[in-house]
Amino acid sequence: MSSLQLLSQQLANGLTLGAIYALIALGYTMIYGVIQLINFAHGEVFIVGAYAALTVLLLLGPAALPWWILLVLCGIGALGACGLLGLIMERVAYRPVRRAPRLNALITAIGMSFFLQNAIMLLYGATDRQFPSLVPPIRWEIGGVTVTLIQIVVWVAGAALMIGLQALVMWTRLGKAMRATAQDLTACALLGVPVDRIIAVTFVIGSALASIGGLLFGLTYGTINFHDGYLVGLKAFTAAVLGGIGNIPGAMVGGLVLGMLEALGAGYLSSQWKNAFAFVILVLLLLLKPTGLLGERVAERA
Amino acid sequence: MAVGHRQGLRLARLVLGLLFAAGCGKPEAVIKIGFAAALTGDQAPQGEDLRDGVELAIQQANAQGEILPGYRLALYALDDQHSPTQAVSVAKKFIADPDVMAVVGHLNSSCTMPASAIYHQARVLQISPVSSNPQISRQGFDTFYRTCATDDLQGPAAALFIVNELKAKRIFVLDDMTTYGRGLSNELIKKLEALGAEVLGHEGITQGDKDFVPILTKIKSLTPDLIYFAGMFPEGALLIKQRKQVGLNSLFMGSDGQFDPVLINLATPQAAEGIYLTAIGSDIRQIPSAQAFVTAYEAKYGAIGAYSAYGYEAANIAIWAIQQAGTKDRTAVLAAMKTLKDYPGIFGLQNFDQRGDSLIRDIGIFAVQNGRFTFIKTASWD
Repeated sequence: MSSLQLLSQQLANGLTLGAIYALIALGYTMIYGVIQLINFAHGEVFIVGAYAALTVLLLLGPAALPWWILLVLCGIGALGACGLLGLIMERVAYRPVRRAPRLNALITAIGMSFFLQNAIMLLYGATDRQFPSLVPPIRWEIGGVTVTLIQIVVWVAGAALMIGLQALVMWTRLGKAMRATAQDLTACALLGVPVDRIIAVTFVIGSALASIGGLLFGLTYGTINFHDGYLVGLKAFTAAVLGGIGNIPGAMVGGLVLGMLEALGAGYLSSQWKNAFAFVILVLLLLLKPTGLLGERVAERA
Repeated sequence: MAVGHRQGLRLARLVLGLLFAAGCGKPEAVIKIGFAAALTGDQAPQGEDLRDGVELAIQQANAQGEILPGYRLALYALDDQHSPTQAVSVAKKFIADPDVMAVVGHLNSSCTMPASAIYHQARVLQISPVSSNPQISRQGFDTFYRTCATDDLQGPAAALFIVNELKAKRIFVLDDMTTYGRGLSNELIKKLEALGAEVLGHEGITQGDKDFVPILTKIKSLTPDLIYFAGMFPEGALLIKQRKQVGLNSLFMGSDGQFDPVLINLATPQAAEGIYLTAIGSDIRQIPSAQAFVTAYEAKYGAIGAYSAYGYEAANIAIWAIQQAGTKDRTAVLAAMKTLKDYPGIFGLQNFDQRGDSLIRDIGIFAVQNGRFTFIKTASWD
C-alpha cells in the first residue's frame, strides 16, 4: 500500500464517520439558528433513531424482504419516530420556556437529555444491542482503496439528505420562512409568519436527519447502546461549532472535516489521541476564527 | 445511584417479606456478601455472569441451613459501571453496611485497584474473581484475594503461543489503555521481545469508541502476521469485525476480557472465525470437580459464561471464611481466611500465596472454530 493509497483510504474512512456527524450536526445548527438553543437532547434523538430502526428490523425480521427494502422501511420508521419525538419535545419542553431567560431552556435541554437516555435504558435494556448487518458485506478495491457497500450507503444517504435539506431551505416557502425566522423571530411574527409552526418544523426536520444518522451509525458499527448518544452527540455538536453554529452548510462541512481529522489523527499520529486531536483542532480554530469555518460575524442580539 | 436505590428497595422488600413469612416467629438476621461489577452498560453481560455465579453460591449455602446460628446469607449487588470513581463509591456503601462481611468483586482491574484500598482500611475481606492486573496484590493489602491467574503469566503465555505455535514474527499490539489492558500488553511485549519477535507498534484505543477503521487501516499498511488486543469484548468485537471490513487478514489474538460468547455474536461469526484468545483458567468443561456446578448453573441461568465459575468460586470461599469465623465479625472472617489451606473448590484444591493470589494458575488458549470457542491447550508461561 503506497502512502497515497493509505491517505486516500483514511480520507474515505473519515468521510463515512464525517457524514454521520454532519447529519447530526445539522439538527444542532438548525435549532440554534432559529431559537439560539443548544439542544443537548439532540444526541439522544440520534440514538432513538437507531433504536427505532432496530425495532422496525426486529418486527420485520421474519419477513424475507430484500435488504434495500428493509433499509428504506427502517429509514421511514426512524424518521417517523424521531420526527414525532422532535415535535413533542419542542411542544412539551422548549416552547413553554422560549420567552424565559436562555439558561432555563439550556437546563431544560439537559434534563430532556437525561430523561431520554434513561427512557431508552428502561425500554431496551442497559446492555449493547446488536444491530443486524442488513447491508451485504461487499467490498471493492478501487485503485488500492477499499470501499464497502455500507460506506457507499452512508455516503449516498448523507449526500441526498444534505442536498435535499439545502434545496428545501433555499428554494421553498417553508425554507424562506425558516431563514427569516432565524434572522429575526419577532419581525417574522409581526409580518404574519407562523413562527411557532416554523420552529416546530425545524425540530422535526433536525430530529429526522439525526434519526437517519442513527440508522447509518447502527449499520456501520453493528452495536448500539443507550449511552452512545452522548459521545456521538458531543462530537456532532463540535462539528456544528467547527463549521460555524447556525450555519447549515457549515454543519455539513464541519461534520466531514471532523470525521476526516479523526481518521487522519488516528491513522498518522496515534489512535489513543484520536478524541483529543479532534478537540485540539477545535480549540485552535476557535482561537483563530471564533465564528467557525463558515460562520459569519453577527451582532449579538439584545 | 438509581440502581443503588432500587437494590435498597429490593432489600427492604426482602426483609419485609421475611418478617411476614416468619409470621409471629422472630425475624432472621442477615449476613451480606457484597458483589460489585458492571451491571449496566456495554460490559454488563460479563458482570451478570459473575453475579449469577455468586447468587447460585449464596442460594446453595442458604439451602443447607443457616450460615451461622440465627443468620441467613443475602446478596448485596451493586453496579460499578466499570468506572473507577463509581467503584470507590460502591466500596464505601459496602463498608458502611455493618451486615457486609465480605465483598466479591470487582470485575475490572481499574475498579478493583482503588476499591481494594477502601476494603483494606475497613478490614473487609475482598475476593476479586477475575481482576488480573498483578499490581493489585502487590500493594500489600492482607484483605485482598483473587481466584484468577495474573497478567504477568497471561502476557508471557500469549507471547509464547504466538511465537512458538502460531509462528508469527511481526506483531502489532493494541490495548484499551485501562489498568488491565495496558498492564497486560506491556507484559506481552516484554516476552515477545525476549523471544525475538518484532513488535511493529503498540497503540491504545478508547473504551466506548466504535470506529477503529483508521487505526486498522494503518495496521494493514504495516502487514503484521498477527494483531494482539488486550481489552474487553465490546471493543474486541468491533476490532475483529472492522479488520475484515478494511481487508486486514492477519491472525488475531485477544485476552481473557474478550472470552465471552457475546464476542462472537457482536463480531459476527464469519469475522470471528479463526481468532485466538487466552483465558484465565483452562476449559471449565474438562475439570471434573466443576461439573456439578456447571449442571446446576445451566439449569438455572442457561449457558455458562466465561466468568460465571469465578464468581461462584470466590463467593464460596467467602462463605467458607464466614463459617470458619463462626461469628459475625469482619476481623474474625479475615483471620479465618488466612487459615485457608487446600480448599476443595471447583477448579481443584485452592491455596493462596502471601499476596492473596490463587495458586491455581492455568492459562487456557481457545480459538473460535465453527462459530464457537474451542479449547486448544493449557499454555505455559516460561
